[in-house]
Amino acid sequence: MKKKVIGLIDGQSGNIGSINKAIKDIIKGRPYRLKIIKGHFNYSSFDKIILPGQGAYATLMSNLKKLKIIKPLKEYLENNSSYLGICVGMQILSDWGYEDKITRGLGVISGDIKKFRNKKLIIPHMGWNTINLNNDDTIITNSFDKKDFYFVHSYIFQNIKKSDVLAFTLYGQKFPSIIKKGNIYGVQFHPEKSHKHGLNLIKNYILKS
Amino acid sequence: MLKIRIIPCLDVIKNKVVKGVNFKNIRVMGNAVEMAKYYSLSGADELCMLDINASYQNRKTFIKTVEAIAKVINIPLTVGGGVSVLNDITDLLNAGADKVSINSAAVKNPKLIRQASLRHGSQCIVVAIDGKRHKNKMKVVIKGGREITNLELISWAKQVQSLGAGEILMTSMDTDGVQNGFDSNMLKKVTSNVGIPVIASGGVGSLEHFYLGHLTKSTGLLAASVFHSRKYKIKTVKKYLSSKGVPVRL
Repeated sequence: MKKKVIGLIDGQSGNIGSINKAIKDIIKGRPYRLKIIKGHFNYSSFDKIILPGQGAYATLMSNLKKLKIIKPLKEYLENNSSYLGICVGMQILSDWGYEDKITRGLGVISGDIKKFRNKKLIIPHMGWNTINLNNDDTIITNSFDKKDFYFVHSYIFQNIKKSDVLAFTLYGQKFPSIIKKGNIYGVQFHPEKSHKHGLNLIKNYILKS
Repeated sequence: MLKIRIIPCLDVIKNKVVKGVNFKNIRVMGNAVEMAKYYSLSGADELCMLDINASYQNRKTFIKTVEAIAKVINIPLTVGGGVSVLNDITDLLNAGADKVSINSAAVKNPKLIRQASLRHGSQCIVVAIDGKRHKNKMKVVIKGGREITNLELISWAKQVQSLGAGEILMTSMDTDGVQNGFDSNMLKKVTSNVGIPVIASGGVGSLEHFYLGHLTKSTGLLAASVFHSRKYKIKTVKKYLSSKGVPVRL
């Protein structure tokens, strides 16, 4: 049986150690192979791609550009292939990012990444917060509804189509915590840091999609 | 709703968790990796570990311990102690720390905070501040409280925020180790003057102390002895806080 290939992009935006380990544990003894993507890649040779990210939108975009990852990633996403973006890896799916400077994103899911509106909030939004599911999905199933995940971010997905929001979270305002368009998923929190529910989410993504 | 974070803190020498800042009476509390694993499984929201004797020899083993811990837990890990230059931060992040805390080095060279947050992002830079009352003023102290600096606590807290710190780990040297409760007055002054998360540290001895810590608007509550001595389980603290209406992750 041909093994499915999972690509984990190292965009030099934070440590990929935890997510790398989580994926390895999940695919152990299963027909999957994990490949770290550090530069140009052939988009048709991957079944799933995961992009974790920390830090700034502009930094991740410019790293991906330098590493020659943008073009094949766009081709991959335009094919509606399976993708999971984590934190900034989710944010860059948008049209524009407004962190530090205005930066063009991948433009896969329409919307902009802007700061929390409420000036009195403690920023970053750091810690465990609840996700509220709008719809049940094969990967983000009902069992995740009202569960807590670990967040650390100051910017949120805004001006997004309602139909692209799978779950939202409250912090001074409602903001999208899981987004989905076709086979493309994005989570604002860090499932790799979110204990058992987080690991279950990654497991579902890998095994059920 | 955002939950209050309960954060056990491991004071580590090489690969052992120890108790006693006073170097004469070091007591080994357990193996760092085992304890980290236990806390992660028993409901800790984050873990903090500090190299309290960061000599050249001990450091290598400590970094290996960070690596081993990062492999067995899946909650955020803050690592501090012995950070003096930018590369120390990079090394700890590469070893698997999610956040690195800087203390004395930031006081001596505030630019380090900016450089670190530009290189790695604010979200992983914690500035640990040790505060102490001196001649009716709240001052910043270093070297475990033995050296009082000229820095006024509140202006330093504001400064570290503007330099790009993502979080403040606030320890009161007036209450630390006494188990009479957090320094509510000092913590409230800090939380009302900055807009970044503040972790309260120093002084927890009872369940009520956790609740009083929450009232200071600190979003993380750090404790060591009450957990290491098994006086309280993390679940016990969370259930208590929940019964008082404080949002916790159960």
